[in-house]
Amino acid sequence: MRPERRAGIVSWGTYIPPRRLRAAEIAQLWGFAPEVPKGLWIEEKAVAAVDEDTVTMGWYAARSAIRRAGIDPSQIEAVFVGTESKPYAVKPSATIIGDALGVNTRKLATDMEFACRAGGEGIRFGIALVASGQARYALAIGADTAQANPGDVLEFTAASGAAAYIVGPAEEAAAEFEGVVTYVTDTPDFWRREGSRYPGHGEIFTGDPAYFHHIMSSVKLLMTELGLGPEDFDYAVFHQPNGKFPLKVGKRLGFPKEKILPGIVTPWLGNTYNGSALIGLAKVLERAEPGQRILVATFGSGAGSDAFSIIVKKGIKERVKKAPTVEELLQSKVYISYGEYAKHRRILHRNVGG
Amino acid sequence: MAYIKAVGLVRVGRYFDRSYKDLALEAIEKALSDGGRPGYVVVSSMMAESALKQLDIGSVLTEWLGMTPVPAIRVEAGENSGLAAVEVGAAIAEATGKEVLVVGVEKGTEYPTTKTYGDYSHILEWETETVRNVRPPDLAALAMEEYMRRYGVSREELTAWPVKMHRNAARVPHAQLRFEIRADAVPAATKISGSLTLLDMFPIGDGAAAILVSKERGDSPIQVAGAYASTGLRYYLRDDPLHLAATAEALQKALKLTGGEQAIEIHDSYSIYAYLILESAGLAPKGRAPAEVDGMEWVNVSGGLKARGHPFGATGVYQVAELFTLMTDGLGGRTYTGEWGVAHGMSGHDGNARVVVLRRV
Repeated sequence: MRPERRAGIVSWGTYIPPRRLRAAEIAQLWGFAPEVPKGLWIEEKAVAAVDEDTVTMGWYAARSAIRRAGIDPSQIEAVFVGTESKPYAVKPSATIIGDALGVNTRKLATDMEFACRAGGEGIRFGIALVASGQARYALAIGADTAQANPGDVLEFTAASGAAAYIVGPAEEAAAEFEGVVTYVTDTPDFWRREGSRYPGHGEIFTGDPAYFHHIMSSVKLLMTELGLGPEDFDYAVFHQPNGKFPLKVGKRLGFPKEKILPGIVTPWLGNTYNGSALIGLAKVLERAEPGQRILVATFGSGAGSDAFSIIVKKGIKERVKKAPTVEELLQSKVYISYGEYAKHRRILHRNVGG
Repeated sequence: MAYIKAVGLVRVGRYFDRSYKDLALEAIEKALSDGGRPGYVVVSSMMAESALKQLDIGSVLTEWLGMTPVPAIRVEAGENSGLAAVEVGAAIAEATGKEVLVVGVEKGTEYPTTKTYGDYSHILEWETETVRNVRPPDLAALAMEEYMRRYGVSREELTAWPVKMHRNAARVPHAQLRFEIRADAVPAATKISGSLTLLDMFPIGDGAAAILVSKERGDSPIQVAGAYASTGLRYYLRDDPLHLAATAEALQKALKLTGGEQAIEIHDSYSIYAYLILESAGLAPKGRAPAEVDGMEWVNVSGGLKARGHPFGATGVYQVAELFTLMTDGLGGRTYTGEWGVAHGMSGHDGNARVVVLRRV
């Protein structure tokens, strides 16, 4: 028996900061042709304000998840925060979020880094703890205020947002895990050195040898192990560094566009890194019907991918209503200029206090 | 006169998991599959220092191939390194009587494009051009603007070349971009410089090509009948930027030999250069090349730099190997049965030009 079948998603929550920067404005400022953002399928991205960070966004998302679960936060016995933009280099974000939520002090708590897929691995850890009886509930958060070198093509998509998942016993879950597979290699497609403000990347090398190879490998492994094919899934959600990649990887794996589009959020949100696939999954959970099967594949540079097969259960609809949906958060927005974006994301450097 | 005994080609592409040695070995294994005992190795690579971090690449490659103590040399003439290597290789074969293995190899995708473009821009003169942030596509874009202005040719009419090259490359197994494009996609593509777009220029790619040249004819059907080279002025020193003087000098000598009947591969690094090369050589009237290229059957059957690809220092070796194939087994489903094959290359805006002429014997 697969141990992950004893665990499921009890609830989920997301947070998208309301400020949006249009891709066209970035293109105009740096002299990119208007075709560049169109080619990536990115229209606008969410920008965390100067007083927002991975901790505040992660907390918001987790609070929504707790509301949807209807559980006492003191029953949560593990908090994992997957991020590549933790506010402190040394000092865990998981402890701040855990205490602010009232999570049990008898808990595991750690920040995890694996580019964009640490949040997905947090869910895997949660499954392991719940399935082995070591925790009743585990909270896994994927959150980022993604950095991009101003003027780099990454700046079109690098965005801010968070998703939180409470993993618990399958019998209490809104959706059950059917199987999970992780595929990891040493593939240096994207990195940020200690002390460096912005990440570097291998351009086209981030495509075939990295994103496509790892997602296709994890998904194929998962489908082989479960004896399933693309036709058995109702939805497919992939990590979304831009709007085009998830459609492309889905096509290569044999998933029709109609099964992928419901989970696409990046064109209107940007790439929230650790939040990317997990916000896409939340959007799908908020429209899925009991009995439907969802494929989720994360991706993190470096590189690795987790592929999950998830089956939606009865009672999910009631949980959707208890907190803001992804669709609502996407609609709640205010446009800002590049100048305001530069201020909020601390791209402008100034001396404060003489 | 030297003869071409055999050729080997690797598909131009992005080989993230293979070193330049692997690519060279694949090309050489194909070229030597029928035997052949090279007594000299000539290696062409434009970016050996910058992308491969390797000087004396000829010796390193020869050792790695297990061919020590065969002598080796590297030839570099910017973008035209490949044809220069063929020229040198044929001369060594004639002078020494040894079989010469000419290998062109490049790894354009070893680093991010900003570095590759930066290194590639050193084909221009550093002290007057590159240091002022002038890059090869800027010169092509300037020439393109002048061409449209002088001859009243529209941006749309200039799409004939890339459309034709993609159509050709779609049939060539070793081409990098094996797909067709629509004319209206060209002006709409990402701007590179001025009105010059991504679809007006070559793709960055890795590749390796090898040919075996010998003084003895043996059963070779193809002779290296001539090699002509010339140098040109910097763009800003030219009286007429639309006249590629070095190219004209080298190509006109070759065309005198062929009588104007040949299969030809030209250095279309940017679409505008295809038109300027044809016009400078007298193969099309001034201002008319865009209207006439569709009717030119034996021009860049390979798909050219535009679509077969341009692995810099390997490109000239590809051209010669392709003409050999076109004149013997056939390339892209076509076989040229005529007597002459002409390979033209240049570096930057006609900074140097070289032509290698093949003849059926």
